[in-house]
Amino acid sequence: MNGFSVLLQKEWREHTRNFKMLWMPLVFIIFGILEPVTNHFLPEIMKSIGNMPEEAEFLWPEFTGEEIFMSLLGQYQSIGILVIILAFMGTISGERKNGTATLLYVRPMSFLSYFLGKWIVVNGIVLGSVWLGFMAAWYYIEILFNRVDAGAIFAFVATYSVWLVFVVTVVLALSAWLPTGGAAGLAILITLVYQFIDSLIGTYWTVSPWKLSMYASYWFEPDSELSNLWMSLGLTVILIVILIVFGVFLSKWNASKTTV
Amino acid sequence: MAELANIPWNLIMPLIVLQFILMIVALVDVIRHRRTNGPFIMWIFIIVLGNLIGSILYFIFGRRQV
Amino acid sequence: MTPLLQVDNLTKKYGSIHALDTVSFELEEHTATALIGPNGAGKTTALSMLSGLVSPTGGSIQFQGGVKQDIRSIIGFLPQYPKFFPWLSALEFTEMAARLSGVETRQTTIEAKKTLEFVGLGEVMNKKTGTFSGGMKQRLGLAQAIIHKPKLLLLDEPVSALDPVGRRQVMELLKELQRKTTILYSTHILNDAEEMTDQLLFLRQGKLVEHGSLDEVRARYAEPRIVIEFEGIQELQRFTEVTKWQVTSKGLIVSIDVRLEKAEMSSVLSVLTAGKFLVRRVEWQTASLEDIFMKVAVI
Repeated sequence: MNGFSVLLQKEWREHTRNFKMLWMPLVFIIFGILEPVTNHFLPEIMKSIGNMPEEAEFLWPEFTGEEIFMSLLGQYQSIGILVIILAFMGTISGERKNGTATLLYVRPMSFLSYFLGKWIVVNGIVLGSVWLGFMAAWYYIEILFNRVDAGAIFAFVATYSVWLVFVVTVVLALSAWLPTGGAAGLAILITLVYQFIDSLIGTYWTVSPWKLSMYASYWFEPDSELSNLWMSLGLTVILIVILIVFGVFLSKWNASKTTV
Repeated sequence: MAELANIPWNLIMPLIVLQFILMIVALVDVIRHRRTNGPFIMWIFIIVLGNLIGSILYFIFGRRQV
Repeated sequence: MTPLLQVDNLTKKYGSIHALDTVSFELEEHTATALIGPNGAGKTTALSMLSGLVSPTGGSIQFQGGVKQDIRSIIGFLPQYPKFFPWLSALEFTEMAARLSGVETRQTTIEAKKTLEFVGLGEVMNKKTGTFSGGMKQRLGLAQAIIHKPKLLLLDEPVSALDPVGRRQVMELLKELQRKTTILYSTHILNDAEEMTDQLLFLRQGKLVEHGSLDEVRARYAEPRIVIEFEGIQELQRFTEVTKWQVTSKGLIVSIDVRLEKAEMSSVLSVLTAGKFLVRRVEWQTASLEDIFMKVAVI
């Protein structure tokens, strides 16, 4: 683990100084507020625009707080993940391309420290941002909708967080493997596109990281069967470990591709 | 005007403030940094007019390292 | 005494192209070796392999007494165009480099400041490297390469990108370093090579085509000759009629190949004074490093 704390400090400085530490939480918090606010005021907004027939008012569904949490998760699943991929696609490949990695790679550092330093800081930013987003949403949901059981919210967010760590690990491992463009493309394919495919044809298997975002909502229904959720969590953690090993190996393997 | 008064500003205000902070951070960065992919005047327009999306676009695509 | 570094048949292939082809040499401790060759000769490839960045296709690199730890800890490397994280200050970067290279944590700040003073960046050490000029980056590159007092310093074209003043200053720094460590540097500027070198290695198309000390290489290619420039063509003709030496003439200049004719300066001078020849200059000439370079490395 040679150089771990130095490399961790370097990543921290990088992301505070390029403002990611500021704008990523802001973006997720804004989404977290927008979701309950727009859902609450949408019927009124529609009414004030005035083109709605009178009876449409009765057709407007009444959302519960739990449903707002789930629709916010839906937002994070599309726009949120896209932002995460685009913000971190060049984490390793970018350093190789612009040559800044060279003066790190010629030193006796371990690539495990190198990869883990990035992994920890990126996960910290992503999870911190998403948690702040859910907290903001929680506050608004309590005011505009109903009180949601705190334990259920924690379990919901914790389950979703495991999926997010998986996404971050995929992005970093791909960035260790491929040039930035390829890493972004493949990451979108693996997380966003496959997510969609899994929801279409994935009814035959129940244990999958891609189902975690759906299983997270089980916490809001007290008598859900949770065995699939637990098995998916276990599988996801195993896949995360494998991807880390893969990422460490590939960043070392590709070290010679750095621009000298 | 009655409708304006009906809007619960105390709930909407934080949203406006946060978006404003994001925009200001992006603008300060673009003006101080001046190294962007593409003309930096264009990015000022994108940030100001594009609001939330504009600022996100700037931080992801507009900002150039090295 | 065993050399610090022994390189045997070092080879790097990219597909079917030999970037470096069975190159062997040794580096003695506390010497400076210049790696000379035209662009694309394999200089950067050779340095990249010694730095541990690129793994060789064949051959071996051996350090004195073998190396127990990571070889990267006893090497300092300066790439031709060093790239820094623009959001770090020079001091922060040098500290990071020091800690990554195993300098004791409590010493890093002191060492980093000392090294930055040494390379002449003391005034600007708290400025972000993103604002640095090419010359400043080169100095910072040197600082990060020497911060951990490496046994071997690898420098890729250390002064080529600098203006004459900057080049002068960096050369002086390098000469000072030469007393403390072993230096292997590449260059295509032959004046630099002439100034600081104990050994020359000429690369051409990945092959080591010539090597030795400056004097050895010179002696091999010197073609020493005595050159006489006359005042007028009549004088020159008068000289060629009386001389017993085989000469070649061009314009007002006559040159005598010393190795063929066993001529000596003193005998030439006595012939000239005895005949009262009107001459502008008489000179002993050997090939310059530039001439040798053209012969050895370009062809």
